[in-house]
Amino acid sequence: MKKYGILLLVGLVLFSCRKDELEAVDGPNLTDVFGTFEVVSTLVTSQPNVDFAAGQSVYFTSEISIITDWELKITGQTSGAEKIITGTGKIIDASVSTWDGSTTNFPMFQSETCDVMLTFPGEADTLYSTVTVDQPKTNSGFVIADFESGWVGGWTSFIQSGGNMDFNIKTDGSAAQLGSYYNMQGLVDWDWLVGMVNFNAAAYGSTTIPLSSNADNLYFNVLIYGQPGLPNSRVLFQFDEDDDLGGSFNAVNEDQFTIEILIDWEGWRKVSVKYSDLIGNGAGGGTHNPDKINAINMLHLADPSSGIAVSKIDYIIFTENAALNP
Amino acid sequence: MKYLLLSVFIALLSNSYGQQGKKVQFVGGARSLMSNSNFTSDPSDSMTAPKSTGGYALVDLGIKINPNKTTEILGMFRIRNDFGGFWGGGVTFGVRQLYVRGVAGKVLRYQVGNLDYKLTPYTFYNHNADILTSSVGTMGIKEDIFNYESFYRKNTWRQQGASVNFALQFPKVVKEIEFNGFITRMNPTNFANIMERLYGGGNMVVTQGKHLTVGLNHVSIFDLAGTAIDSNAYSNNVSTLTYDVRFDAKKFKYGVDGESGISSSGLSQAPEDALNDYFLHARAYLNLKKKNLGFDLGYMDNGADFRSFGAQSKRIDYSQQNNFFKRYTNDQILRPVSMYDIYNDPTLFSNGIQAGVMQYNPAVNNALPYGLATFNRRGGYIGASYSDSAKIIDASAKYYLLNEIRGQGTSALKTFNYANLDVHFSLSNLMKWKKKVDVHTGVAIQKTTREGDFTFESVDLSSFTMNTGFEIEVIEKLSVLANVFLLQSKGSDQLPVRDGNDAIVNYTEFSVDGIESNIAGGLKFDFSEKVYLAAMYEWNKNSFVVDNPYQFSQMSIYYVMKF
Repeated sequence: MKKYGILLLVGLVLFSCRKDELEAVDGPNLTDVFGTFEVVSTLVTSQPNVDFAAGQSVYFTSEISIITDWELKITGQTSGAEKIITGTGKIIDASVSTWDGSTTNFPMFQSETCDVMLTFPGEADTLYSTVTVDQPKTNSGFVIADFESGWVGGWTSFIQSGGNMDFNIKTDGSAAQLGSYYNMQGLVDWDWLVGMVNFNAAAYGSTTIPLSSNADNLYFNVLIYGQPGLPNSRVLFQFDEDDDLGGSFNAVNEDQFTIEILIDWEGWRKVSVKYSDLIGNGAGGGTHNPDKINAINMLHLADPSSGIAVSKIDYIIFTENAALNP
Repeated sequence: MKYLLLSVFIALLSNSYGQQGKKVQFVGGARSLMSNSNFTSDPSDSMTAPKSTGGYALVDLGIKINPNKTTEILGMFRIRNDFGGFWGGGVTFGVRQLYVRGVAGKVLRYQVGNLDYKLTPYTFYNHNADILTSSVGTMGIKEDIFNYESFYRKNTWRQQGASVNFALQFPKVVKEIEFNGFITRMNPTNFANIMERLYGGGNMVVTQGKHLTVGLNHVSIFDLAGTAIDSNAYSNNVSTLTYDVRFDAKKFKYGVDGESGISSSGLSQAPEDALNDYFLHARAYLNLKKKNLGFDLGYMDNGADFRSFGAQSKRIDYSQQNNFFKRYTNDQILRPVSMYDIYNDPTLFSNGIQAGVMQYNPAVNNALPYGLATFNRRGGYIGASYSDSAKIIDASAKYYLLNEIRGQGTSALKTFNYANLDVHFSLSNLMKWKKKVDVHTGVAIQKTTREGDFTFESVDLSSFTMNTGFEIEVIEKLSVLANVFLLQSKGSDQLPVRDGNDAIVNYTEFSVDGIESNIAGGLKFDFSEKVYLAAMYEWNKNSFVVDNPYQFSQMSIYYVMKF
């Protein structure tokens, strides 16, 4: 009898019932995920005008009936610049939709009115609004070239004597940043080099370009345009360091760091690289010393057998702490 | 370097043969596989190469050294050569096992290095939740291989660390108290945002006598504070009580056993988000000795927030991608992990536990995707088993009726019906033949349902798994093998999408209507009990990817040796 008592006791202890959790639900409600799509509140801009240069930002609000993917596209009416913000949820507010004036698809925004469009994949509803950019975003950093002031004294260049050569600053409405860019075009069927530009330190009033010495915290950024149908261009940036501060670069005993970019895309794209990630020739010991850069050489290259090569360059800028957020 | 190591090993090997007694033993295995596969999908598919041929040879060479009576050292390394490599190309060389174990002071057993360890089904246990049926025949060979590759031995997980074990015996009241403890390393720090993560625990098992055994168990996954700049430490603690109250009469044995406990998991800087819960699991059993029959009746209540990743880690992570015919069709879509891949690719299996809720495949196992330790399940089960003394029939069956405890996205709860049957029949034992004639059938049936006010709340998902095989020794040492495997699933469910903290943030619609079938036949020649050569041919058809069904045929030759 005793043993049955033990069994009963063990059973009672172990089979004691859990309180039902009928009110508790794990995760979002299914009606919020699979229910009917409806716009609960329309798209609203937090302020009609925004001055990004003064550090302002703008956000957008809306509410829909179910958790779904959404895409917010801001398009500059004048520049055609685009900022795209995507997310998943039923409430769009400052936490997910704040715009700091940055650009997703170039060119960069100007002082202009922008159309704002909110779409939901798979749904017909589209919500619209507008916002006016009083002043576009400014980026902190040391600008090597944005070509807005024309050719700067101290820069030098070498252009091959090939066919259809066009190495010039242009202001034709297709720049990525503001109005002007540098065009590099030509057919050179005997050499990889089509042309080059040397951004010498002398152009900035010193024997070295005034940059931070911390190569792990310094980013080189450039906007590059790939010509549709011509994926043969390459651009090679050489960073000549005057390691002994003798006033000039000597390739035999001083470091030269490089980055070569195959331009196999179409349209404008930002390329950023941390200075300490650049590959060097090792001639000067291999230590990255960005504060000792004597010149930056921009070489436009192409396979001689590949025909005409075309690319565009804009907004060459060094930034600290992070890559350029244009 | 690899050749230098090989030379050193061969030198050691030569010397060791000269040694006396059993101080040095050689253990390990060798395996070679050659296969030729033919893949077919949409006839217009011009992007996928339809044939694949490959193979490898590998040797696991281990030296087991007993420097004294109480110490054992095992070092095993693996040389693998993928066919087609030449003069070292395709050759890999690595350490497969390394441990030291022994008895200190005639009391304390210890092991340092690789551990194959388990505690209890709710604390630290390698549940097999992805292969619901065991195999003989051709699939039995594959099962042996992936179990060997992944160190799956009697539900243990392979870990690296140290363990100790000792027991105290008493003349009165309590017969024995056994203590087990272990500490293992799950991941190293990166000195930034990932801390050193350890997994440790142990238990104390008190055997009162013939009638009662009680155990206290505790395991903990924890980040070691101070090993990284980030100080938001993760922990998962589980404490349980195990028991077995048993009685032995002349004609039958009966009793109650089970495990109950609590768990907590979360981050040190977000105590408000910590998950705390408990579980209960009790089972009554009855064994009729003369009739070789066993029955059990169980009840389980695993809380929705019960987390024990030492017992809830899965062997297969369904978020990973295939290695074999990874993409197909002209759109080069990803081919999901299928049962064919699971049986053929040992690299898909996890080699250790993972702190986090792993993805599962509802078409394979929706009722208990994390084994008995699956959270958010309450209900009962009933089982029966029969195993005759002549080893002619070994059969078992179990039926589970479970419910969710907390709804996912709705207060309506899912109901899970799960039945499995496993029958092993030995005609040779029945007829008292010397030659082996074994037949095996395993069946698993699952059905998940949920009623709801809205159409999208309703769930109706069913799956059927069958694995039948035989092994017939036609002439001495030469056997004919065959297998038929079938997985069929139809219906729909909603799968939770979890964030980095395992909280459900969304759901994806899971809809399935497919069949995977695998028919295989082959020959196996046993050179000895531990050495065999097998050749098999198999056909596999899979229609789980809507609009893109595919099929394989494959010829394989296996050579397997263990020593």
